[in-house]
Amino acid sequence: MRRTANGDETALGLLYDRYGRLVFSVAYHVLNDQTLAEETTQEVFLRVWQKADSYHPEQGRLAPWLASIARRRAIDLYRHRQRSIENHLTDKPVEDAFDLADPEDVENEAQAAEQRRRVRQALAALPEVQRQALAYAFFRGYSHSQIAALTGEPLGTVKTRIRLAMLKLRDLLSDELEEAR
Amino acid sequence: MPGMEEHVEEYLSAYVLGSLDEVESQQVARHLQGCADCRRALAQYEQLVSALALGLPQIEPPSELRGRILAAAARARPIETTTRPGLRQLLQAAFGQLSPGWALVGLALILLLAFNNLLLWQQVAELQHRTAALQSALRIASLTGTENAPHAVGTLVISLTGEYGVLVVDGLPPLDAEHQYQLWLIVDGQRANGGVFSVNEEGYGALYVSSPAPLSSYQALGVTVEPAGGSPGPTGAKVLGGEL
Repeated sequence: MRRTANGDETALGLLYDRYGRLVFSVAYHVLNDQTLAEETTQEVFLRVWQKADSYHPEQGRLAPWLASIARRRAIDLYRHRQRSIENHLTDKPVEDAFDLADPEDVENEAQAAEQRRRVRQALAALPEVQRQALAYAFFRGYSHSQIAALTGEPLGTVKTRIRLAMLKLRDLLSDELEEAR
Repeated sequence: MPGMEEHVEEYLSAYVLGSLDEVESQQVARHLQGCADCRRALAQYEQLVSALALGLPQIEPPSELRGRILAAAARARPIETTTRPGLRQLLQAAFGQLSPGWALVGLALILLLAFNNLLLWQQVAELQHRTAALQSALRIASLTGTENAPHAVGTLVISLTGEYGVLVVDGLPPLDAEHQYQLWLIVDGQRANGGVFSVNEEGYGALYVSSPAPLSSYQALGVTVEPAGGSPGPTGAKVLGGEL
């Protein structure tokens, strides 16, 4: 079929058109650096494209799957480059990364913007200490012990805060989670 | 510490975030192998982490990133780490299933529906037989070539909600590196940006289209030649036009 060879790149281009901004945004929020976020985005799309990360239908919608991969790859990149970006000026400390004001959202799709608003609301409903503990885990992938060491809080306190934060969010966002399935 | 027999629900959120230490993580993984209840709970926490990632404010990547990724993909050697079909293979299967007559419209339908999971990927291969029925359920706009591109054709397939669509074009001449094609969404004489795209050397290209207003609210479509990255308004030769 005459389109097969270049049909690949066309399909990859479509995939990027649909999900490129989403992947880039997740990476940027983890890394706070445009160049590194671009690097992560390229890596994610190449891995998906080359079958290194295989999508199969039981995994549900593409968007959540790609968002999770983006988060993991960005965290990996952060760990790998940590020495060189330790002194990087960031907008805010990672513990405040879930303090999301209503942004000027670069968003065309009303439904997606509405879902994001609900996530922001749910995060804002958490007690600050829970939100901060969760931010360490979500944006850095730190273990409980690492978070306890960083914050000076007891290990048990860190574990409880993260667990309660996730329970509360699961509750508040149950509609989103049902829709995903 | 989780044991094999005890349920691991209270460790699952940390497990999904990656916050358990190595030993705990392995113990949870072992338990999950044998426990469907905990696997169900795990799926919920995984969806939650995804929802949080999807919920972050969106930031536009630089426009050059798209081209860089496509170029890197063209250069890259394939990595075969699993035997399951990857996304690329599934899309190839979708392309390969199309008979010539349905190539343009069918492709747009498949990609549009598959991307939004209205179809399971396994059903994509069967789509060929259903295309006619689906065509009547979705809005489709045809674009024809102007005197600047007499052999060009285009099809815009709009989703059920009207919020997004897929544009597929054929027969447009490839442009140099300083130029791209740009789609315009036209209503009451006003032209809104629908996105920029390039075509391959065979004149074939595709674009995922989304716009602030529902696509079905526009009256007409146009494609012009613009500087790479696009323009605020049409400046170059018009190559395709059509009505919605």
